Amino acid sequence: MRPDDRQYTKSHEWVKKDGDTVLIGITDHAVNELCSGNEGDLVYCDLPAVGRAVDAGETFGEIESVKAVADLNAPVSGEIVATNPEIEDHLEILSTDPWEKGWMVRLKPRTKSLDGELMSAAEYESHVAEH
Amino acid sequence: MAADAALLVGGCRVPTLRLYTWEPCALSLGYFQRVEDVPEAVARRGDPRRPLIRRRTGGGAIHHASELTFSIAADADHPLYTGPIAESYQRVHRIVATALAQFGVSAQPRGERELVSDVAGTGMCFHASHPLDLVWETPEGWAKGVGSAQRRSEGRVLHHGSIKLGPDPLEPHVATVAHGGGQVEARELGAALIGALAAASGVTPMPGELTAAELAQLEREARAFAHPAFTGRR
Repeated sequence: MRPDDRQYTKSHEWVKKDGDTVLIGITDHAVNELCSGNEGDLVYCDLPAVGRAVDAGETFGEIESVKAVADLNAPVSGEIVATNPEIEDHLEILSTDPWEKGWMVRLKPRTKSLDGELMSAAEYESHVAEH
Repeated sequence: MAADAALLVGGCRVPTLRLYTWEPCALSLGYFQRVEDVPEAVARRGDPRRPLIRRRTGGGAIHHASELTFSIAADADHPLYTGPIAESYQRVHRIVATALAQFGVSAQPRGERELVSDVAGTGMCFHASHPLDLVWETPEGWAKGVGSAQRRSEGRVLHHGSIKLGPDPLEPHVATVAHGGGQVEARELGAALIGALAAASGVTPMPGELTAAELAQLEREARAFAHPAFTGRR
């Protein structure tokens, strides 16, 4: 079971409340689809500039594995207030700890109640099982 | 490349196979590749006689000469693409291998083989390999013969492939279709690919044109592709 302290998107990002901001990352399923268990297959991650505003569902970054480039989609609308400085040089943390150390961006949500199309951990489990 | 990008997110969700060759020949960089990491790209920078572009798909640089290029755009939950990326590669490569077999080429996944085409420092796609890559035997030894890369956006997948028909001085040691026993035209290989795709999918491909929405997206993409800031973005 994936962590139930956060919500999930159909495109395999997670969002977790942290004070008046949220942390955003990608799930273990997303990482496995990109690199099939070979953490060295992740080669590059392009994260947005701090201060950029994004809408829910909008692409905020891109990640490249040896065999594919994939979009990173914002689970909720808001302003990017920080990016994880560890990601660029240590992409392996997305494989080893996608839930905590592998956060990608910190975002200040535009609205108090998160506005994206989000799923609970249980709903996300079902979504992954169906696809 | 702009047409492929338009097929990816242009609005028409019909699975589409596109086949083409290049005139003039061009060098394409992978989406995130740094110009400085590809000596041939550095040499071409600012030289309009030797085109340099950047793809939306990742991976290494490709010199598009003596090759058939193909793209397959479809929804991410299409049977060809559903599931892990590695499995989608295996499905596409089985189709390509079936087409190549018609020309005497016995293409197989690289697996753990060592390749004579692996060459350090060029930044070229065909000079780096992955266990999923299609390889076959040449007089020099086992070599990579198909360059492959994917882009995944908005629930869609674009798979790019380059199949070398004959040797290219910029990409030495690469396996080509000619190693199967003779010269093959791009049109012949294209027809074989269409047949192999039809046999694998149970669907008969129909010739088609870009839709109005895709043409509009093509214009936007073409402007982006032509901009020096896109080609030189890294």
